[in-house]
Amino acid sequence: MAEAIGADEILVRIPSRLEILDVVDKVASAIAEHMEFPEEEANSIANSVIEAGTNAIQHGHFLDADLPVDFLFQIGADALRVRVSDQGPGFDVEAVLRSDPTSPDSLLASRGRGIFIMKSLMDEVSFEMLPRRGCTVVLTKRLKRGS
Amino acid sequence: MKTTKRMEKDVAVISLSGKLMGGPDAESVRQIVRETLEEGARKIVIDISGVSWVNSTGLGILIAGHVTAANAGARLKLTGVSARIRQIFMVTKLHTVFDTCESVEEALESFSS
Repeated sequence: MAEAIGADEILVRIPSRLEILDVVDKVASAIAEHMEFPEEEANSIANSVIEAGTNAIQHGHFLDADLPVDFLFQIGADALRVRVSDQGPGFDVEAVLRSDPTSPDSLLASRGRGIFIMKSLMDEVSFEMLPRRGCTVVLTKRLKRGS
Repeated sequence: MKTTKRMEKDVAVISLSGKLMGGPDAESVRQIVRETLEEGARKIVIDISGVSWVNSTGLGILIAGHVTAANAGARLKLTGVSARIRQIFMVTKLHTVFDTCESVEEALESFSS
């Protein structure tokens, strides 16, 4: 399931089934450990990758297991970048970014935290929307050596 | 995800293990909390020491359990929150919502004090 496609890249493609996110979690954790991220930052990476995958499966593909979700781990000397791509319709990024799930009115809401969690835990989060061709979430965590 | 339940005197201890991520998990947790309340328990511990990770959908499941218990006049405590899951509680401020204890034993003691 995990395929090395270059010296610095590892691609994982999964069907849109939430339970298979556990495989991706293990790959993300192993890469973070390999890159010697501290434990807390490794947790940030794994938690964020899981959130991006959850969004792709639930909101991008509406749980259609026939549609694949790609996780491209790009391992750099000073940073890890993870590109999580689905084939869904995309979403209104600005509207999501305006919402604050930690506000008193939203604190007990059952949904709406995924992107907030990613933005809180990663150094950079960006979105690439391709009309009718899907959405890619790009997660970046930099190594802070010697800190 | 697996769920088990036992009674420690008047405290219901529900243990979750695996991954808490939505799908059928939501109904199984909702059902076990609902059954526990229907059986009359008003002190509930949900032990997640066996849960390796939680996604935002899983957070919603825990919130639903918290709200259901509170609406029934029950007290619910979470135990066994790993560093990884605590990280998510902190950034989402859910640590201000959930009453947490380090262990089931500590939760039982706090219920009796």
